[in-house]
Amino acid sequence: MRGLLRNNLYATGSNARVFSGFMLLLGAFTAAVISQSLQIGYVMIGIIGFSVNAVLVGKNESVSKWGKYKLTMPVKRADIVKSLFFNEVIWLLAGTVFAGIEVGLSWLIHGCLFDRPIDMLTMFALGISMSLFMGAIFFPLLYAGGEERGEVFLIIALLGAFGIDFAIVSMANEILDPGITAILLGAAILVGCSVSAFILSYPLTVCIFKRKEY
Amino acid sequence: MENILELQDLSKAFPKSDFKLENFSYSLPYGAIGGFVGENGAGKTTTIGCILNTMRRDGGTVKLFGREMTDADTEIREKIGVVYDGDNFPGYWSAKQLSRVMEGIYRQWDNALFQKYLEDFRLPAGQKIKHYSRGMTMKLAVAAALSHHPELLVLDEATSGLDPVMRDEMLDVFLEFVQEENHSILLSSHITSDLERVADYITFIHNGKLVMTVSKNDLVYHYAVMRCRESQFRTLDPGDIIAWRKRDFQIDVLVSDGRQAQKKYRDAVVDHVSVDEIMVLLVKGERV
Repeated sequence: MRGLLRNNLYATGSNARVFSGFMLLLGAFTAAVISQSLQIGYVMIGIIGFSVNAVLVGKNESVSKWGKYKLTMPVKRADIVKSLFFNEVIWLLAGTVFAGIEVGLSWLIHGCLFDRPIDMLTMFALGISMSLFMGAIFFPLLYAGGEERGEVFLIIALLGAFGIDFAIVSMANEILDPGITAILLGAAILVGCSVSAFILSYPLTVCIFKRKEY
Repeated sequence: MENILELQDLSKAFPKSDFKLENFSYSLPYGAIGGFVGENGAGKTTTIGCILNTMRRDGGTVKLFGREMTDADTEIREKIGVVYDGDNFPGYWSAKQLSRVMEGIYRQWDNALFQKYLEDFRLPAGQKIKHYSRGMTMKLAVAAALSHHPELLVLDEATSGLDPVMRDEMLDVFLEFVQEENHSILLSSHITSDLERVADYITFIHNGKLVMTVSKNDLVYHYAVMRCRESQFRTLDPGDIIAWRKRDFQIDVLVSDGRQAQKKYRDAVVDHVSVDEIMVLLVKGERV
């Protein structure tokens, strides 16, 4: 498992370095100006962007025979899938840290840009939830449909994640009365549903990957 | 003699291409180099895929080190080194990074040995693999396959695309590997000269079927091709003919014992036969 995680880290690292540079510049700009919508955008781009970069590992490996080669090494297919899921979680956390630092910096300089500080929780919950839903949809699709279709599956996964989150938020707004409890509950539902989907996607992906031939 | 690899009635069909591997039985003894030879699409890579579980077989058994290997049998895979044709590893890695990944996967990964191979093969450890030449990537793959002390090497077209000097260098490494009596190599190639040089047994595959397995000694000392006229050919005992092919003014006949054939058919010209010629006769010729 250690080797597989290291493999994923190397595979993600190069693109992540470029993306980190971009996020640092964008973060400095976003922290410097007073704009709530820019801050929401930064948090979303940070969390989802790092996650997208992480899930593309599986697709990038299809360029060489490495995907096939890995199956000949002393690792189980389930471990290969597990390492991809772990990798996404690691980069999701990295993206959350980036977003957190920018929000913290902006808060220090300009104060809270939202009506209530708790609104920021929804913003983070939405970003994390979209990333997890995206991974939950993308990984099984990637192995079922083939790595060569990685880009289209990524678009489907992103749109799917957005649609699911939109539906959850709409339903939560319908059902819950406005207030702090509704915000907390809404954020909990978003994160809870996406974590469940992410966890359930793992055995499904393993099942599909076990049938995959190279 | 015990076998490191045993295939029994292995079958695998590809409904979309009509190709199927049919009842393929094969065994590779410990300490031997077995060569698969066949035209492109004959079934060599499919067989290797079924052996290594990168493909699911439809029927038959595959035994490695005396037992069937499932996905969970990582212990068996510790003892297997694999080299595929082309890019085995992602181009964005360096050899140093490859080593770091491998040491997290193989319990017996020997970094010192890997560094020695890098030096011997003159491979720069810090350079990205995508900047390596094809020969260098193949050498790197061989170095990686050997650096976790495997007992069985599976090489799928590992020498194709290499220049003669590099191929010779690689073949020497393979011969050195089988000096240990529990080490074996399964080598698939359509470069028949490589097989003639190193293989102990050569297996001819055609259209998903195993045509025959011949020991190299038999091939060198016994197998031969008879050059006959049509009138001579008609007098041949069908039991002596493995395969035959009509050429412009003669018929080439593959026989398993050239000396005996020379004694029996005194008028015929009997020549030594190469693996290439056997392959052409088996693929393009007719069998009795």
